[in-house]
Amino acid sequence: MFSRKQSANDSVSEGMANKQKRYEALVHALHSDIFRYAYWLVKDKAVAEDIVQETFLRAWKSLDSLKDEKAAKSWLITILRRENARRFERKQFDLVDMDDVPLADEGLSNETEIEHRELRALMAGLTEEYREPLMLQIMFGYSGDEIAALLDLNKNTVMTRLFRARNQIKEALDKANDSRGIKNG
Amino acid sequence: MDDLHFRRTLYAAPNCADEEITKAAAQDPSKQAFWQELKQLDANLKRASKVPVPDDLAHRLILKQSLESHRLDKQRSRWYVALAASVAFVFGMSFTLFKQPSITDLGEYALAHVQNEGDGYALLANGDYSIETVNVQLASLGAQLEHSVGRIYYANFCNFNDIRSFHMVVEGENGKVSVFIVPRDAKLNPVDSFSDAKMAGQSIEASKASVILVSDKGKSFDLLKRKLKQNMIFSA
Repeated sequence: MFSRKQSANDSVSEGMANKQKRYEALVHALHSDIFRYAYWLVKDKAVAEDIVQETFLRAWKSLDSLKDEKAAKSWLITILRRENARRFERKQFDLVDMDDVPLADEGLSNETEIEHRELRALMAGLTEEYREPLMLQIMFGYSGDEIAALLDLNKNTVMTRLFRARNQIKEALDKANDSRGIKNG
Repeated sequence: MDDLHFRRTLYAAPNCADEEITKAAAQDPSKQAFWQELKQLDANLKRASKVPVPDDLAHRLILKQSLESHRLDKQRSRWYVALAASVAFVFGMSFTLFKQPSITDLGEYALAHVQNEGDGYALLANGDYSIETVNVQLASLGAQLEHSVGRIYYANFCNFNDIRSFHMVVEGENGKVSVFIVPRDAKLNPVDSFSDAKMAGQSIEASKASVILVSDKGKSFDLLKRKLKQNMIFSA
């Protein structure tokens, strides 16, 4: 009886150690992507980090329900979106506008940095319904079908939003180039 | 393929591998250029989307989980301690409560004693103990038989609910009667008479002990009882 109890304890702690390993692997592999996704969702670093903390905590609690590691990313995205929605149920944070947030220097050349800054401002300027599918496509390379499933939308809706998102960015870029052209010319 | 459809499709998915799109691009250099431009834009957007991640985010995520795990563990162990305490409490309570009623009634105990006496070897015993022999043993309980009360088929010490007592089987006017001499004990409540479906009993209360008589129901032993009352003497 005692020996059986002992082995049951062993397998319990072994299971816990396994879960811990899986969790840590998950954190290391995906925390950057998930943080960036959260960032583009809420456009605020501190809030993004809070949501990511909640997301991973929730993920750890229900880690047993994640059967296929390949599905981990979309699983986390789903949890993150739910956590973000809960945040709005609790209270509305004051969101800081992208333009006001000084982003850390990434050691890129000045020109690239300026270009990135411009693109970021454009992405941040999109409304959320356009920005979210676009980020899913750009950052994770998800197909229209996958995005539709994640956002619980019809595929045609997703494709239309993707088109409009890029269209807006392209138009803004062209306009900026034109005005630059005029100034230069 | 018309230009509008071409552009619309690629705006929605620059990495699309649609055959029609690929063919249209191959036939028209301006379409090809447009596609390349769009792919370039996407690549730039992807690079720009990579905002810096806080350095120690991974560690903080693991830390938070460990703290939570620890908190849950503590909660669980508190729960276990509470459970163990309740079990011990219930066990203790029931032990006290169960033991109490079983020892309070001397009569019931006497009935049970006779009934549970294995194969009833005492009642089947056919000895004939002399009053002297019995008195030697009775002396340790501070009791003495002055005169014979009838044939004694069986006489020995017994354990009467942890009380060292004396068990005799004596000849009564209607057959064998079990007689117990039980020293007075606070744990046992004396009863005058008692019975169950098969047997009946009575007790004689002396100053230091109870003398309990049990026989089959319906067989009176009044005479024996009177004899015992007169002859059983308890020393001070």
